[in-house]
Amino acid sequence: MGFGVLQPAGAVALAAVGVLVALYFFGRSRREALVPSLLLWRAVPGRTVRPRRFRPDVLFLAQLLLLLALVGGLVRPYVEHGAEPGERVRLVLVLDVSASMQVRERDGARFELARRRARALVAQLLGGDEVMLVAAAERPHVVLRWTTDHGAAQGRLEALEAGDTPGDLTPAVELALGEVRARPETQVTVLTDVPPGASGVSAERLAAIDWVQIGRTDDNVAIAGVTVDRAAFRPTADATATVLVRNYAHASKHVGLEVRVGDALWARRDVAVEARGTTPVLLAHPPAWGMVTARLTDGDAFPLDDEAWAWLPDDDRLDVLLVTGSDVLAAGFHDLAGVVGGSRVERVDPADYAAAARGAGAAVFDGIAPPAAIPALYVRPPPGDGPCRSEGTVDDAAVVDWDADHPALRGLEALETVVVRRAYRLATPERATPAALAATERGAFPFLVLAERDGRREACLGADLDEAFDSSDGLPLLMLVLDTLRWLEEPALAAPLVVETGVAAPAPPGVVAGEGAGVRVAGDPPLVRADRVGVHHLGDRLVLANLFDDRESDIGRDGGGEWPATAKPLAGPTRGAREFGWWLYLAAAVLLAIEWTLWLRGVRTGHT
Amino acid sequence: MGERPGDRRFPGRPQPAGIEIEAHAGYQPGDDLRHLDWSALGRLDVLLVRRYTAEREILFHLLVDTSASMGCPAGDRKLAAAAELAVALAYVALSSNDAVRVALLGETPRLSRIHRQRASIGEIAELVAGAVASGAVVLGPAVEGYVRRHPRPGVAIVVSDLMVEPADVECAVHVLRARRFEVLLLHVLGPHDLEPALDPARNVLRDVESGAIRAVAATPATRARYREALGEHLGALETIAARTASAYARLVTTQPVYDFVTTDLARLGIVTRR
Repeated sequence: MGFGVLQPAGAVALAAVGVLVALYFFGRSRREALVPSLLLWRAVPGRTVRPRRFRPDVLFLAQLLLLLALVGGLVRPYVEHGAEPGERVRLVLVLDVSASMQVRERDGARFELARRRARALVAQLLGGDEVMLVAAAERPHVVLRWTTDHGAAQGRLEALEAGDTPGDLTPAVELALGEVRARPETQVTVLTDVPPGASGVSAERLAAIDWVQIGRTDDNVAIAGVTVDRAAFRPTADATATVLVRNYAHASKHVGLEVRVGDALWARRDVAVEARGTTPVLLAHPPAWGMVTARLTDGDAFPLDDEAWAWLPDDDRLDVLLVTGSDVLAAGFHDLAGVVGGSRVERVDPADYAAAARGAGAAVFDGIAPPAAIPALYVRPPPGDGPCRSEGTVDDAAVVDWDADHPALRGLEALETVVVRRAYRLATPERATPAALAATERGAFPFLVLAERDGRREACLGADLDEAFDSSDGLPLLMLVLDTLRWLEEPALAAPLVVETGVAAPAPPGVVAGEGAGVRVAGDPPLVRADRVGVHHLGDRLVLANLFDDRESDIGRDGGGEWPATAKPLAGPTRGAREFGWWLYLAAAVLLAIEWTLWLRGVRTGHT
Repeated sequence: MGERPGDRRFPGRPQPAGIEIEAHAGYQPGDDLRHLDWSALGRLDVLLVRRYTAEREILFHLLVDTSASMGCPAGDRKLAAAAELAVALAYVALSSNDAVRVALLGETPRLSRIHRQRASIGEIAELVAGAVASGAVVLGPAVEGYVRRHPRPGVAIVVSDLMVEPADVECAVHVLRARRFEVLLLHVLGPHDLEPALDPARNVLRDVESGAIRAVAATPATRARYREALGEHLGALETIAARTASAYARLVTTQPVYDFVTTDLARLGIVTRR
């Protein structure tokens, strides 16, 4: 059994106690009236005035009690008793813990406001009522299963916090509605900054939900993307970076942008962004290689997307062991080595490969596919059982599709112009990925297959590289080869992994399942998933996690408010409660009579 | 009896010259033979001279209390009524060929010369109109100081609210009577002296003259007790007047001064209608 009040605002009337005390002191204070003489007043009984001492008399105490009784009645107090079994409430609280819930509103963070509301709802529950907590991130998490332990629910609510990941409210709401289907008396309350219309839940299903939308401000300028662009085997100084600054507010803004590479300042710009517009900021001539940090220096309501990270690699060097019997190919690679500074190309015959393999960055096997101890590019592989094999040849094939996001092909835009006179239809071994597809009139087939095995990278290319060096028409194919070699020679264990929060990315070789601060590796094949924005360590490898998500960064909300469930009303707040405010009013009436009597007596005796 | 000849007759004190024969006396050498009663000599063969009723001017001493209590509360206009009353009585006296001196008994006492001309009434009015209620006045010593400086007897008219101890009033009357002054106590009261307006928000009363304070409750009981004390005070003043053969009259400032002079004072014989 507990006590509560239904109208806490009535406690404001307690200020009247202060007024009463002030009146008491005013009555005790000396306020003089001039008279011609006290001669005649000496016969009148006098009284003592002590302005500084608070010695309340019975009349004052009666007035104070009367006032307290009135205020007590005003706040509508009640005695709480446990809910009857037939009227017990089952409440599912769905809390949005997506990144946008970290937005700072005038009264506090959105998530804090939601949590406050959730705690108030739990506090209204009576003994025997059940509660279940669901956190809606990119997937729903049942934070607390059905329980009647409201203290535990309050504790879980206190421990909850909004994440840095994009959220998807729909599965969590569906989960809660599933509870409603199982037990129709279940009530669902969703606390989010997303309006019900944008929740992906149909209107008729929303009717069973108390939807509380929190948040209004649209004050957010975000770094919507950071792209570092450097052509393969070009010097780092030729690299560029593009920072997308997006204004999600409905008013234009000026923000400061600061970009650093490591500790060195790359650029500092004042960026003007139109309302709901995007301004790309192009940066050139980086001062160094390393981690690029872009930061908006002017604060806003959502600081999570004010900083972003990218990686600018060091200069590439071509260090190739060329295993071929083709003089044309060998001459072409030597020409390439002359163009790329600090490069080395060593040609060996296929028969001498085993003795020469040590020390090279990658090997290029032309027409053979032996197992290799170093990263290898197999060109026009033969059929058979090797790590890379072909399944026949076709004529006049063109590249028709490729994985533009793969690190080996990132930045290449001219692959559609790759046409080879003779192509090799590649097989896709286990744990290998077809990164580019070529096609003829008879169908498409893998043209470039990439794989990572035991921390070592392999690539198979179904083309004859002699064509790449024949004429300028072979330039796109040559670019594909160079990018693939760059990827093969990339120091796999040192290169940071750039990811977006909440988005799983394939774990690089050597990374094992586990959990770090803000980042997790799980699954088979292992996937990396960052939960927090920032720079994380995963073993020896850096993970750069950004929040590039329009849905989360677009924080402005129209309207806002609450949409109570129409299908089934909530149990009233007085359920299981017995008000006793009228008893206080009755007590006030009695006290008034007592006070009146005391006052009359004082008037008669002259002692008021 | 006055020192200077005047219109006021003083029977019982015959003098050698006059208008109205009051008595006869045996001729003494040096008596004015014009007053020898030849008829009595023929009938009685005794030399008798006629004695006449003395006729002297009366000096009216108008002693106006201008202490602070006369201005409190301001709405009662006690000092204004006292000043108006003093001017009226001075006018009556001057019209009767009597002399008038006005003394303001206050924090800064002011004194007029003796006026004998009715035309001087303006000067008197100017003096009393300039009176300011201030300071504390103890009636006995103030009156005693006045008569010590101006011992010529006459009629002393004390105009005051008499908000002092009755013993102090009696002391003042005795001082005057001891120097052969006729005494007229004119008691000026305001309506709030009769019925005080107690403000519940002002619970402490301060004596405007002494500065002493007293806390009282604004209750009907307090009012009743005040009225009782006022009745006792007025009764004591009337007793003193009777005991010292002084005249006593009371003016409440709500009453017009003209009515008071022509009605109340006439009823007491202090002024007479012609």
